[in-house]
Amino acid sequence: MPVMNSAYNGRQPNDFKILTELEGVPNSRSLEVYKKHGGYSALEKILKGKMSQEEVINIVKASGLRGRGGAGFPTGMKWGFVPKGEGEKYLITNFDEGEPGTYKDRYIAELNAHMLIEGKLIAAYAIGASKSYIYLRGEFYDEIAWCEQAVKEAYAAGYLGDNVMGSGFKHHMDLYLGAGAYICGEETGLISSLEGKKGQPKLKPPFPAVKGYLGKPTIVNNVETLAVVPWIIRNGADAYKKFGTEKSAGTKLFNISGPVVRPGCYELPLGYPLKRFIYEDCGGLIGGKKLKAVIPGGASAPVLTAAEVENMTMDYEAFAAAGSMLGSGAVIVIPEDVSMVEVLENLMHFFKDESCGQCTPCREGTGWLLKMSRGILNGEGQLGDEQKIAEVAGKMMGRTICTFSDAAAGPARSIPQKFAHEFLEYYKKKSSAHGQG
Amino acid sequence: MSNQVTLSINNQPVTVPAGSTIIEAAQKAGVSVPHFCWHPGLSIAGVCRFCMVKVEGMPKLQIACNTPATEGMKVDTLSDEVKETHKWALEFHLINHPLDCPICDQAGECELQNYYMKVGKYQAQMEDQKVLKPKALDVGDTLVLDTERCILCSRCVRFEDEVTKTSTLGIFNRGDQATIGTYPERKIKHNYSYNLADICPVGAFTAKDFRFKCRVWFLKETKTVCPGCSTGCSVNLFQNSSQREYYRLKPRHNAEVNGHWMCDTGRTMYEHLNASSRLASPQLEGQSISSAAAMQAVTDAAKGLAADKVALVLTAQFTNEEYVASLSALKSVLKSAPKVFIWRDESEKSDDFDGILFRGDRNPNTRGMMDVLKEHGITATVLKGDYAPLAAAAPELTLILAPEVESAYPNLAKAVGRFSELKKTVYFGNALTDSAKKLWLRIPVKTFAEKSGTFVNFNGVAQKLKANPAVFANVKGVDEYFGDLSRLAQSAV
Ligand SMILES: Cc1cc2nc3c(=O)[nH]c(=O)nc-3n(C[C@H](O)[C@H](O)[C@H](O)COP(=O)(O)O)c2cc1C
Ligand code: SF4
Ligand code: SF4
Ligand code: SF4
Ligand code: FES
Repeated sequence: MPVMNSAYNGRQPNDFKILTELEGVPNSRSLEVYKKHGGYSALEKILKGKMSQEEVINIVKASGLRGRGGAGFPTGMKWGFVPKGEGEKYLITNFDEGEPGTYKDRYIAELNAHMLIEGKLIAAYAIGASKSYIYLRGEFYDEIAWCEQAVKEAYAAGYLGDNVMGSGFKHHMDLYLGAGAYICGEETGLISSLEGKKGQPKLKPPFPAVKGYLGKPTIVNNVETLAVVPWIIRNGADAYKKFGTEKSAGTKLFNISGPVVRPGCYELPLGYPLKRFIYEDCGGLIGGKKLKAVIPGGASAPVLTAAEVENMTMDYEAFAAAGSMLGSGAVIVIPEDVSMVEVLENLMHFFKDESCGQCTPCREGTGWLLKMSRGILNGEGQLGDEQKIAEVAGKMMGRTICTFSDAAAGPARSIPQKFAHEFLEYYKKKSSAHGQG
Repeated sequence: MSNQVTLSINNQPVTVPAGSTIIEAAQKAGVSVPHFCWHPGLSIAGVCRFCMVKVEGMPKLQIACNTPATEGMKVDTLSDEVKETHKWALEFHLINHPLDCPICDQAGECELQNYYMKVGKYQAQMEDQKVLKPKALDVGDTLVLDTERCILCSRCVRFEDEVTKTSTLGIFNRGDQATIGTYPERKIKHNYSYNLADICPVGAFTAKDFRFKCRVWFLKETKTVCPGCSTGCSVNLFQNSSQREYYRLKPRHNAEVNGHWMCDTGRTMYEHLNASSRLASPQLEGQSISSAAAMQAVTDAAKGLAADKVALVLTAQFTNEEYVASLSALKSVLKSAPKVFIWRDESEKSDDFDGILFRGDRNPNTRGMMDVLKEHGITATVLKGDYAPLAAAAPELTLILAPEVESAYPNLAKAVGRFSELKKTVYFGNALTDSAKKLWLRIPVKTFAEKSGTFVNFNGVAQKLKANPAVFANVKGVDEYFGDLSRLAQSAV
C-alpha cells in the first residue's frame, strides 16, 4: 500500500491529518498506539458523560459529515431516520470497496481498524443497535485479518460485549465476508447478501432505516464515514467544519490512479483544487504526458475532459455542477495516449459483468452497451454508433431499482459526447480494412 | 373515510383503499398500465420497470406497481415522456428475445406480443449477436422451460416461494447472463404446476399437456366451474369449437373461491369431455338403442312399482337442478319418494385439504345435493365401501347417477360390480366405463361443459355452469331424461 506523500509545497501535512494521523507511526495498528492518540476517548466521553443518542446525532449533524460511500448523504440525518425506542436495530459497515479505483477503506484498516470500531460503537449507540457487522469483500485477506484482530482486542479490552466499558451499553460485532460482487456494495444488495440471499438490491420503499437487515431498522455506512466519527466527537463539530467547504465539510481520502508520479491515498480537505492535487501532490503525469481526461469519483462518475477540470475543486458541489460526482474519491487520470474508446469498452465490460440483472433496462442495457463499444473497438463500427451508445445509455437512466444503471450509463453518455472524434478513427479503420479486402 | 384515498389518473378521479398502489388504482379506473412482473396474486418485485408513470411533484417517473396511491396524487400515464419510457422498457425486453413466435405455443396470448402491438418501438436498433440460453428444458412432469424466451420477471420464482412454498425456481447468474431455472436436482412436482405456464407472461413455461396441440386463436373459452373437487374453482374451459374438441382449463379469478389459481388435477377436467372417451348412445343389455327407447324402457320398468322398490343412487357430481328434476319426477311417477342412496368412493377422505385449494371431497356439489335432499325431506343412506344397505332394500329398479369424473372414484369398478348383482339397473353416465357393460341399461349424459345449472361448493358458494353445444347431439342431461320419464308415465295413464 503506498503511503501518503508528505512533501507538500509549503503546507503543513499535519493540518489535514484526521484519518491519517497514524500514518508513519510505528506499530500503528496496535490498540496501545491508537489509545495513545486519543483512541476510545470519544466513546468514553459519550458513555461516561451519559450523552443522549440525540446529542450524539446532533454533533454529527452539526459537523456536516456526509457519507463517504459515494452518495454523500448527510450522516447525522441518516441516523435520525431510525425509529426511536425499543426493538432490534442493526448497524452495518460497508467495507465492500468495489468501486474501481477506490482503495481508501483498505488504507484505514491498514492504518488502524480501531478507528472504524470506535466509530461503529458510537454510531450504534446513537441509533440504539446492539449488534453490528462489518461486511468485507472476501478477497481483502489482510484487511480481514486486521479487522478480526481489532475486534478481538476490543472485546478483550471491554469496548465490545454485554456491558461496554461498564456503562450498561451492550454491543456485539461480527465480520461477514462477501464473495466479491460490486453490487454487494450497494447498501440493499449488501443487506440481501448478509441475509444469505443472492446479492441483489431491494426495492424501495421500504428504506433500510425502517426495514433493512432481517426486516429491522438498519443503517449502512461506509468505513471512512464511521472512522472519522471519533475524531468529530473528540474535537467537536466546529473543528471538523474548519476543513472543507460549506456544503462539503471536513477532509476526505482521495485515491489516485493512472500514470502519475506519486500515486496513492491522500487525505485532503474537501474543496481542494484537482489540478493542484494531480500536478503538485502527485507530481504530475509520468514522462510529462498531457492530461486528456479525469474520472473523478470512481468508475461510476461521468468522465470530465482536461478543459473541464481546469479550475475544478474536489467537493460534492463542484463535481455535481460539472455533471459528474465526487463519488468514492477515486481519481482516475487518463493521459493523452489512451484511447477513450478503449476506456469506454473497459468500463462497459465492468458494468456488464457486475449488473445484478434484476431490472430489465440495466440487465439488457449493460450487455448491449458492451457489445456496441466492443464492436467499435474491433473496427466493426460505423458512423453514428457512438450516438446510439449515448442514446441507449440515456434510456437506462433513472428507471431502475438502484443507481448502478445510471452509473453504467454515465460514461456511456459522456464519452461519446465529449470524445466523438476518437470514434471516427475507429470507423476509418473499418473502411480501410474493407478497402484492402 | 380515512381508509380511502382519492387520486386522479389522467385527470380522472378514482377512490381506492388506503395502501393501494398506483397500478391497482389504475386498474380500478380502467386505465391499463403496461406491466410484466406485477401479478395481483404475488408479492411485488418491481424489476421489469415497464409500469412507469408520471406522478406530479416527483422528479423521476415512478413504477406504478410499488408506489402507494396517496390522497390528491396526480398520475399521468399518457405523456410523451411516459410513452417513450414504455417503448424503451419493451425494447430492452426484446433485444435478446429469440422471437420464436412461429413455433411458440404462447403466440396469440403472449404479453410480449400484445404489448408490442400496443406500445412497441417498431424500429429495432439492436444489431449484435443475441445472448443464447438453454431451451426446451424438462423441469418436471408437466412443464417445459425455454430460458431464452424468459424475460426474468420472477413471477414463477415468487409463485414457488409464496404459493406452493416449494422454492424450486431461482434466477441464476447475473447481468444479461441471468437465467431462470430449477435448483440443482430439483424438479417442479406439485399439484399447482400449470399455474406457472399461466402466469409466465411469455412462452418460457409451456404446458406439456398443450404443447404443439392447437394455436390459441382457434380456441374459444367458456366461463364455468371446475368439477374436480368440492372447492369448485372458477375456470375458463377452452374448446376448439369447429372441431368440438376441448383442450384445457385455466383458472378464472374469483376472490371468494380460488383467487388466481387452480390445481393440476382440475386441469385434467377436459379429458373426459371429448368424443373419444364418451358413451355415444344408450345400451340396453349391450345393444345400442335410441334415447327415446331407453327412457321408454325405464318408464315400463317403473310402472306399477311401489316407491320403496325403486332405488335412486346419487353421486354429488350433478347440478342442483338435476337432483330436483330426478326427485320430482320419481315422486310424481311413484306417488312417493324412492329410496335414496348416496354413493361415495371407498377411499374418500372428504375432510382432506392441501392448504391451497384441493379438497379430499372430490365431488363438486356435495353441499348442493345435501341441500336438495333436505328440501325434499329425504334421508339418504350413504354407501361407502359397504353396499349391503342397497342390497337389503332389494330394489326392483335401481337408477344410478354415476360420477362424471371417474378418476375421483378409484374404486368405481368394485361398486359397479355390486350394482350389477341387483335387478334392473340403469346407469346414467357419460363415460365408456367397461365395468358398467354388465348393467341392464346404460344411458349417456351431458358433462359439466354441456349443461347449465348450479354447483354449491364446500363453503356454500353457488356458481353457475355454462353450457356449450353437446358433443353428441342425442345425449341429454339428467333433468331432461327425468322430464321424459314424467311425460311418458303420464301419457301411459
Ligand atoms: C453499485 C453500487 C456500489 C456501491 N459500492 C459501495 C462500496 O463498495 N462501498 C460503500 O461504502 N458504498 C458503496 N455504495 C454506496 C452504498 O449504497 C451506500 O450509499 C453507502 O454504503 C452508504 O454509506 P455512507 O452513507 O456512509 O456513504 C455503492 C452504491 C452502488 C449503487
Ligand atoms: S439497476 Fe442494475 S444493478 Fe441495480 S438492481 Fe437493477 S439490475 Fe441490479
Ligand atoms: S420463466 Fe416466465 S414467469 Fe418465470 S421469470 Fe421467466 S418470464 Fe417470468
Ligand atoms: S382445487 Fe378442486 S375445483 Fe379447484 S381446480 Fe383443483 S380440482 Fe378443480
Ligand atoms: S410491473 Fe412494475 S416494475 Fe414490473
